[in-house]
Amino acid sequence: MKKWFMPAVIVCGLMFAIAPVLIAGAPYESTMGLVQKIFYVHLPSAWTFLLAAIICGVASVRYLFGGAARQDRLAWAAAELVVLFGAITLVTGPLWARKAWGVWWQWDVRLTASLMGWMVAVAYLMLRRYGGPGSDKLAAGLALFGMANVPFIYISVNYWRTIHPTTNVVPTLPTSFGVPLWFSAVSFLLLFVLLLRVRVRLEEQRAKLDAMYLSMDA
Amino acid sequence: MIRLALLVVMFAPILGVRGAGAAGDSVASTFVRGAGPAGDLIASTGGPAVMLAQQPPPQQQDEFIPIDELPAQDQLPAAPLLVAAYSFVVLALFAYVVSVGRRLGRVQQEMERLESDLKRGGRT
Repeated sequence: MKKWFMPAVIVCGLMFAIAPVLIAGAPYESTMGLVQKIFYVHLPSAWTFLLAAIICGVASVRYLFGGAARQDRLAWAAAELVVLFGAITLVTGPLWARKAWGVWWQWDVRLTASLMGWMVAVAYLMLRRYGGPGSDKLAAGLALFGMANVPFIYISVNYWRTIHPTTNVVPTLPTSFGVPLWFSAVSFLLLFVLLLRVRVRLEEQRAKLDAMYLSMDA
Repeated sequence: MIRLALLVVMFAPILGVRGAGAAGDSVASTFVRGAGPAGDLIASTGGPAVMLAQQPPPQQQDEFIPIDELPAQDQLPAAPLLVAAYSFVVLALFAYVVSVGRRLGRVQQEMERLESDLKRGGRT
């Protein structure tokens, strides 16, 4: 592992220990009350979900046109994190919505597109796992669709009718709500970088192992 | 015949009858009266308009009730949802870290085993 990895793990651990204190200290939102505090994990996980989808897509493009195995490993690792952070987003959102909107789910554009993005990542992983030879290129093509979906998820709330808040809410947040949110977002981002690094490392080790088996056969 | 009369009464508004007192009202009544005693009874009540008018009107809201005074079955507590959300985040992240750690450990073990096999094979 790289030199920065262990210090980053410590910083990330500390941040995840401090974040609940900041979240508990944040004021209650006027209409939603206590349940609004789900926001501090829902939104950072959603951002990380979108970031992972972009990284998976960009690495896949580079793999398709450049052929570097490193990019393929990065895409695979990122796809797993799309599934992880997407699952967190898609579970915490309905738990919040049940209280705030009175329903678990709405088939509006953002929710539907998010579910689709998550399912594309699941399909990517299944293709890699069970697709056999050549599945790396097919999966890379699939990851492009996952990446193309990201702008729709982000801007959909500004253009289609939905009860989701628009993208103007976060920039106008008062400091008392903003500080815990951004702290939580940085914590999630750091965690994402660390998990991505570990997951890429796993693929590197697997590649080494395959090379060892090949050298034995030769 | 009675069933037919009832159907006519029910669908009279759709068939062009527009409210009590309209010409259509008498058309519906004529159909109903031809249906025998039961038809006469329905027709004498004034048809669908009267039947609708006899329904109790929806109760008007004349006060606001504070949320904490709602009956228990109508209240949705926030704490269990919040706890469920945070628990899911912690469990999902923990499960993923454990999963990656185990996979990495398995690959490392296999590599060590293979290296030792290669060394042994090189010696013999």
